Amino acid sequence: CDEKDIMNPVPQTSLQGTFLFDTPERVLGQVNGMYAGLKVGNFFGGRFPMLSDIRGEEFINRLQNVFTGYDAWNHTINSGSNDALTTWSSAYATINLTNLVIDGLAAHPNVVDAATTAQYVGEAKFVRALCYFSLISFYGQPYVKNQGASPGVPLRMKGEASPANNNLARSTVAQVYAQIIKDLDDAEAALPLKYSSDLLNTTRAHRNTAIALKTRVYLNMGQFDKVVTEAKKVVSDATPYKAATGVAHQLQADINTVFTSSYTTTESIFSMPMTELDNISGQSSLGYEYNLNQEYNLNATGILGNAQWRTGDSRRTMLRASGTTMYLMKYRKANPYLDYVPVIRYSEVLLNYAEALARQSTPDLAKATAVLTAVHQRSDSGYTFPAATTSSATALTNAIWVERRIELLGEGFRSNDLLRNMLPIPSKGTAPSITSSQPEYIFPIPNAEISSNKEL
Amino acid sequence: KVTEGENSPLPGVTVLVKGTSQGMTTSADGTFTMECAPTSTLVFSFIGYSSQEVPVNGRSSISVKMGADTKQLADVVVVGYGTQTKEEFTGSAARVKGDAVKDLPVQSFDQGLAGKATGVSIGQPNGVLNNPPVIRIRGVNSISLSSYPLVVVDGVPINTGNVAGSSTVANNPLGDINPADIESIDVLKDAASTSIYGSRAAAGVILITTKSGKAGKPKVTYEGWAGVTRAVRLPKMLNAEQFMMIKNEAVLNSKILSGNANNASVASELFFPMYNADGSLVDTDWYKEVYQTGFSQNHSLSVSGGSESTKYYFSTNYSKQRGILKTNEFSRKAVRFNVDHKLTSWLTLTANANYNNTLNASPNTGSLEGNAFGLVGSARLAWLSAPNVPVYNPDGSYNLSTANTLGMGNNQVSSNFYNPVPMLDLNKYTSENDHILGTFAADFHPVKGLNYRISYGVDRLKIENVTFQSGVHGPGYPSGNATNTSIAANNWDFTNTLTYNLTVASKHSIGLLAGYDRQKFDNAAWGATRSNSADIFFNDFQGSYGTIIPANNALNERALVSVFGRFTYDYDKKYFLTVNFRRDGNSALGAGKKYGNFGGVSGGWSLAEENFYRNSSLAQVMTGLKLRASWGKIGNANLTNWYGSLSLYNSGLYGSAATWAFSQGGNPDLGWETGKQTNVGADIGLFNDRIQLDLTYYRNNVDGLILNVPQSPSKGIPNNAMLMNVGSMYNRGFEVGVTANVLESGKFSWNTNFNYTFNKNQVTALYGEGTEIVGTTSATAETSNITRVGYSVGSLYGAKTDGVNPENGQRIFINREGQRVQYNHAVPSGQSRWTYLDGSAAPAISVSDYQLLGNALPKFYGGFNNTFRYGNFDLGVNFTYSGGNYVMNGSKGTWRDQRFWNNTTEVLDRWTTPGQKTDIPRVVYGDLLSNGSSFPISENVEKADYIRLQTASLGYRVPVQLFGAKSGISSVRVYTQVFNAFLITKYSGTDPDISSNGNSNLTPGVDKNSIPQGRTFTFGVNVGF
Repeated sequence: CDEKDIMNPVPQTSLQGTFLFDTPERVLGQVNGMYAGLKVGNFFGGRFPMLSDIRGEEFINRLQNVFTGYDAWNHTINSGSNDALTTWSSAYATINLTNLVIDGLAAHPNVVDAATTAQYVGEAKFVRALCYFSLISFYGQPYVKNQGASPGVPLRMKGEASPANNNLARSTVAQVYAQIIKDLDDAEAALPLKYSSDLLNTTRAHRNTAIALKTRVYLNMGQFDKVVTEAKKVVSDATPYKAATGVAHQLQADINTVFTSSYTTTESIFSMPMTELDNISGQSSLGYEYNLNQEYNLNATGILGNAQWRTGDSRRTMLRASGTTMYLMKYRKANPYLDYVPVIRYSEVLLNYAEALARQSTPDLAKATAVLTAVHQRSDSGYTFPAATTSSATALTNAIWVERRIELLGEGFRSNDLLRNMLPIPSKGTAPSITSSQPEYIFPIPNAEISSNKEL
Repeated sequence: KVTEGENSPLPGVTVLVKGTSQGMTTSADGTFTMECAPTSTLVFSFIGYSSQEVPVNGRSSISVKMGADTKQLADVVVVGYGTQTKEEFTGSAARVKGDAVKDLPVQSFDQGLAGKATGVSIGQPNGVLNNPPVIRIRGVNSISLSSYPLVVVDGVPINTGNVAGSSTVANNPLGDINPADIESIDVLKDAASTSIYGSRAAAGVILITTKSGKAGKPKVTYEGWAGVTRAVRLPKMLNAEQFMMIKNEAVLNSKILSGNANNASVASELFFPMYNADGSLVDTDWYKEVYQTGFSQNHSLSVSGGSESTKYYFSTNYSKQRGILKTNEFSRKAVRFNVDHKLTSWLTLTANANYNNTLNASPNTGSLEGNAFGLVGSARLAWLSAPNVPVYNPDGSYNLSTANTLGMGNNQVSSNFYNPVPMLDLNKYTSENDHILGTFAADFHPVKGLNYRISYGVDRLKIENVTFQSGVHGPGYPSGNATNTSIAANNWDFTNTLTYNLTVASKHSIGLLAGYDRQKFDNAAWGATRSNSADIFFNDFQGSYGTIIPANNALNERALVSVFGRFTYDYDKKYFLTVNFRRDGNSALGAGKKYGNFGGVSGGWSLAEENFYRNSSLAQVMTGLKLRASWGKIGNANLTNWYGSLSLYNSGLYGSAATWAFSQGGNPDLGWETGKQTNVGADIGLFNDRIQLDLTYYRNNVDGLILNVPQSPSKGIPNNAMLMNVGSMYNRGFEVGVTANVLESGKFSWNTNFNYTFNKNQVTALYGEGTEIVGTTSATAETSNITRVGYSVGSLYGAKTDGVNPENGQRIFINREGQRVQYNHAVPSGQSRWTYLDGSAAPAISVSDYQLLGNALPKFYGGFNNTFRYGNFDLGVNFTYSGGNYVMNGSKGTWRDQRFWNNTTEVLDRWTTPGQKTDIPRVVYGDLLSNGSSFPISENVEKADYIRLQTASLGYRVPVQLFGAKSGISSVRVYTQVFNAFLITKYSGTDPDISSNGNSNLTPGVDKNSIPQGRTFTFGVNVGF
């Protein structure tokens, strides 16, 4: 055999970068690769929503295992903790994938047509925005604390593949939010109205996905008027609330449908798909943590006992009792773990909308109540909100927050809902409460970043 | 009659009448009859024995005892692509004879080298069978690449390391070589000797020569031993009563400290007894359930013989060894055949082939690299499982909780750990090798002194890994899953060498070697995991399952293409010179960096051969004196990632859509690490060489270290690191070897060998100002080591502690500012767990407070080997020792953890009353931090100095007359032996040699949740026919 050949072996199971833009299929593969970056176990595949939930007060840690989030639950995360590093790394690894796609498409303009290129760039910006939003809500002080004047995270906007550029200073929280909004606005303009299948509509970003995420981002920023503006694009004026253009998002009659029988209905705006060949198992899997391995049970003094959540509520069918202890079984398909992980659900958009309606400069309490009621009555049709809870913006907001805890339990919202409102994290079990002035209120920037990025 | 050894007859000896051509050979019983003049002299000669001249002096019957030509055997040094006499050799090497390892109860010969070769440090990482030892020749010579030496068997560099790629089963391919087949082991240490292996020589070279036939009557040898192994130095755990007392005290302390002393809704105790049917307290000794007395046996049979033209050696081996842990087994079935045939006066053919089947079976021990924190590790389960719960329920079923963990009985807490017994009973982890090692060579020697050798070697290793995890309990719950993986590691080596030896004017000896070598490694692995077993009846991959997904697929290739040469010269056996050169190409490196030039030069001066020296008075005492020096440049590109220089994208799935994503940041400029070694030494013989001294000083400067340079995680580079050539370090040291024939009086003799190596390792540069490399135990589970400029590689790293506060029983830490900070695990809501000693809130101790806690690499090590003989008895006593380093006794953190885990009896000394001085903090339920279970603390750093009685053996040569001449038995030796007899150390863990991170350079000296070593007693017999 020829010496030159054996000295230059070509890997047969990986692709060298130079061949990446040879075919349109490989470009599409890279677009799917960005979503796959979101889906890793340490990110939206399971660990990220789990960390957000267990920092709040709804769950009790049973086994004191730092590999299943004990540090986050107990607020003992430090800059050397695994969860501080893996969340950070997973988000930035995905950001780099989006930047490489954006840079690569610009460098190889003729592999796919201009319209497709624009769509792919839109998808990349959506994914990048979701990553930065995840980072800033974990590692940055709340926007509302000082209108984003606090230090945020480094804004990486170029693809990185070489040893250069280790150093980059942190942008402010406001700068990061501005970039998120810019990316989402661009994405909204570039993304298709819909795809060819329910599966694609649920697992890739289309226009309404970008809009839906904007309602969440603006809510975090306390810019309620803008939440309303965005929400109106995807929520009709009259019931049943639905999106008039693009994918026709609306609530399903039974919430169980979304979690057990069909993961790709119009209620699921954006979810992480799971298949036998591609699923998240083990200690980052939500089904493993909450149900199979019983790492966490529901806190008896958390939302579980709230009067707004009555026994007949169909959302209680997603709980299970073992003795007197209650467990969440929203994610129940084990070995393989095939439950999709929801990232954006239509009920969240409705609750974002309702909260903004109640908190905007000129509150619309009637409309807010109607939207809130639509979410609640879907699962407990006989329930009406007492007048006392809907008569003032403050009371209504509180009712909406309670509703979020019921509706979105185990979907990764609790920590952010406390932090965006500067509320203390309540104590639970043996874990203490944490106020917004304590350093434990947010995650520390990981040590690995501090030691190699000299401009932090 | 001609005899040898213990008066056994020696057939085939040539007997010549001196000065004539009259001669004959001895018959099968060693006798000969010939006619000759009574004044003549007979010359007896036989290969491998010293020739003797015996004057007849008119006798009619002459008995001659032939002595082995020890000079000829002992004084050869196997060097790369050839041999040199010890006299000619001017580098630095150590030689261990096969006999020294053949009877040891080990799986692979490398485990038996401890203390036997100067400069070579061997650490057995734990008692898991066939676990590759940690071998360091003159220190750690790389940071990110392998520091495992190159192993060359009969001329072919072979695959080493834990080849299974299984996180559960150890599989050292050197265990595929029967130690009894080894003639000699030569360890090349200095660059001038190793540079003939160019780019692969940085960690030293171990050359294995297997036995070959000797002309003469067929010689049959049987070697066998049987023995038992038991775990030693296991710590004593709390019994059920003590466990409940300590844990309930912790629960109550937690209640009080969290301000709930008067809160009836907070439990005061959580641990309660269970009783057996007979009313006795359940008190489970988990050691009994997990550990065992392992029984082992080993049998080897060999036949060797041949004529002057054809020599052969044939052997077979069966070994079945059981470890200290239940279900840990090693078995080997092997055959070897070596043949050497002189076809014509100018052509010799050599072939040798070794086939073996080796089966490694092991439970998950938690003791292999990356496993220290698993929920399934037997070592940890035996320690932390609650003693007040049973293994089985009264109905005989396993004691399990509803959450698939160990049932906690009446205790009101849950465990996230498994019941170790069903794990041992139901799960299966094996790694099986079918290994063919063979070479075929032809030597052409058309004229005297000239030899052309062409040789083809194969090292074909087929590994099958089988994993079954039962759906009843453990990691396969509830589906039951089976993973089979097939790995083919193909390695071929094609070598051409031309040698020419010439003596000019009787005093100038010249040797020339030129060669071309091409070696290729092809590794392919494929496999699948089947899960959702149709029925718990199925225990194998081949059963019925609902799901199958691909697993462990990989395809890799690597090639080395080299030319090399050597020039040797000596003048009158006084002045010696050797020059080596190799140009190596390695496919794993960057496009323009694949080829490198390496070489070395060494010289020697045999002072003792000089007339002026011989006439000096010093020569009366110092009968031998040779000075030698060498310098060489070698490389290292032992990348575990054969495509490390390439930027790669991997394909995967997003649900069911195909993906491509950045998977490896490649460095196209990736080149060699370069080591420059200087070596100066002297070989000294005293009192007619009764005492031989070997003194060597060396220094090795390594530049262009390939480092996995950390990248800011915010860049999003896969694994947050890229391989780059930066950094440098050195190893400096000296070696002393003393071999002495201490006493020889009548039937009694005492031979001893003492060796000592001092090594200093220091990192002199990393990847920039102020940079350091953090090492983590078990993937990223725990930051445990740091590599920092000015210190040795992989120093221990963690939080500094300062005992226990006698006032309140809290652990005191020292933060980065040098302030004392104490930790209280249970505080009222809103208060800080971390406080200064005055009680004011303090920031939590984190990685930024970590400090360097001690050097983890031994500074000195060696062995002290003694052989005593008295008549037919022989006694061997071999010590090994090592020291100057520290070990992180991480297992101690486990033993003192205040979650639901059981503790060692040391915890009985915990703090209970103000003013009490103790090193065990007040027990507070849930406290995982104060004792170093959550992150490493200096409290658990201990000195690792030790002396070990590695082996002691007592043998007896049974007089063969007992068996009668008809038995054909020519020699019998019976012996008994103890391996790892005892350890003298202040280290309080199980063994200071333990390495939870295996052979990793960056994380040495960590003992975390590993099983201990075993002590083995054997009884054996060696029989010759």
